[in-house]
Amino acid sequence: MADDASPPTRRPAASVEVARPPKPEEPKRKPGATPFLLDFYPLEDERSTRVSRFFDSLREGRFTTTRCPKDGLLWPPRAVCPECHTEALEWTELPGRGHLYAFSAVLAGAPLGMEADLPFVVGLVDLEGTTLRLFGRIVGRPWNECRIGAPVRVEPYTIDDGRVFFRFRVDGP
Amino acid sequence: MTSLRRVALVGGGATRFGVRAATWAELVQEAGAALYRALPELAEVEVDSLFVGAAEPERFAFQSHVAPLAAEQLGIRPRRILQRTELACASGQSAIRSAYAAIASGLSDIAVAVGVEKMNLPSMAEANTAMACVMDRAWDGVHGATAPPFFAMVAQRHMLEHGTTEEQLAAVSEKNHRFANTNPTAQFYEKRFDREKLLRLPLVAPPLRLGDCSSMTDGAAAVVLVAEEHARRFTRTPVWVRGTGQYSDFHNLAHAGSLTEWRGLTIAAQEAFRGAHIGPKDLDLAELHDCFTISEIVEYEALGLCAPGEGGRYAAEGRSDLGGEVVVNPRGGLLGCGHPLGATGIAQALEVYQQFAGLVPSARQVPSPTWALVHNLSGSANVHSVMLYGGAA
Repeated sequence: MADDASPPTRRPAASVEVARPPKPEEPKRKPGATPFLLDFYPLEDERSTRVSRFFDSLREGRFTTTRCPKDGLLWPPRAVCPECHTEALEWTELPGRGHLYAFSAVLAGAPLGMEADLPFVVGLVDLEGTTLRLFGRIVGRPWNECRIGAPVRVEPYTIDDGRVFFRFRVDGP
Repeated sequence: MTSLRRVALVGGGATRFGVRAATWAELVQEAGAALYRALPELAEVEVDSLFVGAAEPERFAFQSHVAPLAAEQLGIRPRRILQRTELACASGQSAIRSAYAAIASGLSDIAVAVGVEKMNLPSMAEANTAMACVMDRAWDGVHGATAPPFFAMVAQRHMLEHGTTEEQLAAVSEKNHRFANTNPTAQFYEKRFDREKLLRLPLVAPPLRLGDCSSMTDGAAAVVLVAEEHARRFTRTPVWVRGTGQYSDFHNLAHAGSLTEWRGLTIAAQEAFRGAHIGPKDLDLAELHDCFTISEIVEYEALGLCAPGEGGRYAAEGRSDLGGEVVVNPRGGLLGCGHPLGATGIAQALEVYQQFAGLVPSARQVPSPTWALVHNLSGSANVHSVMLYGGAA
């Protein structure tokens, strides 16, 4: 049965290459790290999200979001405006400073990958000159030395696998 | 509402809530056994629809497609509607609202709403991960946002804006734990808490202490809802769905607005009251979503039981206790019973049925109730779901 042994016939190469979207790849991870997608950090590159520029900018130290020419600032960064549904959104820089509106601390009961961070402070920050009140991790002070109204600044940080995120650092009393 | 059929709640059953040596499926079996014991007239074959309130079985029990799994545990073969309802902490009430809608519209005649959650896992970090995914995971959960720190911020702002005190928070916890001591299905049935003890418990998320927070709980509950013509066959005391409402206007915490004014609850309750032509002061009892002590306080205010900012005093003065104006959480609340996400809303409705039927111990029996309201919030109080129930007539 010579036919069975022969290699499968190869299809002739298509004359026109069909452009395939690139496939998301799992970033390099430390051995023993929480499985990808079971951690909390969003996928950041252009193969995974339409707002990859947020993360690119953050890596360069700029805190940005999308803005609708008609409806103004949108948070979190989006692909489509929820009011007028346009996809023609612009990127705009956000002020990197704000004030603590409220805060608490996680003293017990951390999610996977955050046990080593205990205890940690979280809070809502009124971003200076905007109507945005963002939730985030608060660093630089233990919870019992934080106070409502304290000035904070946005601080980008890098996580183990090279992805980047932001937190707020207490910047004064 | 005039074109809709009348729908009655005719009874149900619940498992013991707590840290249970039982799987997700076994909890459903237990709830079913309790249901069939309470409703001996009910034949499985009559149940045409099943609604399964389950918040996160994929994470807590590693199981999808849970509606047919639950049906099999209950011995039910649905021929009209079989579906799971997921709305995090309000998944149970969503099952009831869906059953109500199905029966009112004529699609179903006899429906079971079952709610279940299995939350205690060998790794509680895994359970906490599931809880953080209730938030906008990529932007809020990523910072470690589970429920306690969020509701702690609500408490912090309420204390700042209205002078609410830790003692007033403890008053809510003491009341609900005391009621739980009358409820053998409650997680804290056998555990006593007085205010002094509550104020000495460790902080979980300041200013909230352990006694201010509902627990991670395993449990299931099931109720039967039927079209009017079937109601009297199952019970002498049908409880009628007299209104329902729901409101949601945000998910990401950036859009929460005021932490201390839960406008969504005010709107959902107004919608529920509208058809019945009554108001909050007409309620005899209310099962409110006390996932945290501060939640119950803000809910008094949003419902209009008291003025904005007065919620702490309302609790401390016993106005929400037996003998007060409206008995809030006579079942023991989420604080005393525990909070198996999908089961909570069903267990609250079951309490309403049992209160109207006079089936609860006298230590928590509301005298001759006529009107009851059940409220569930979900997530960061960004969704409010309300059911209004009425007695005879």
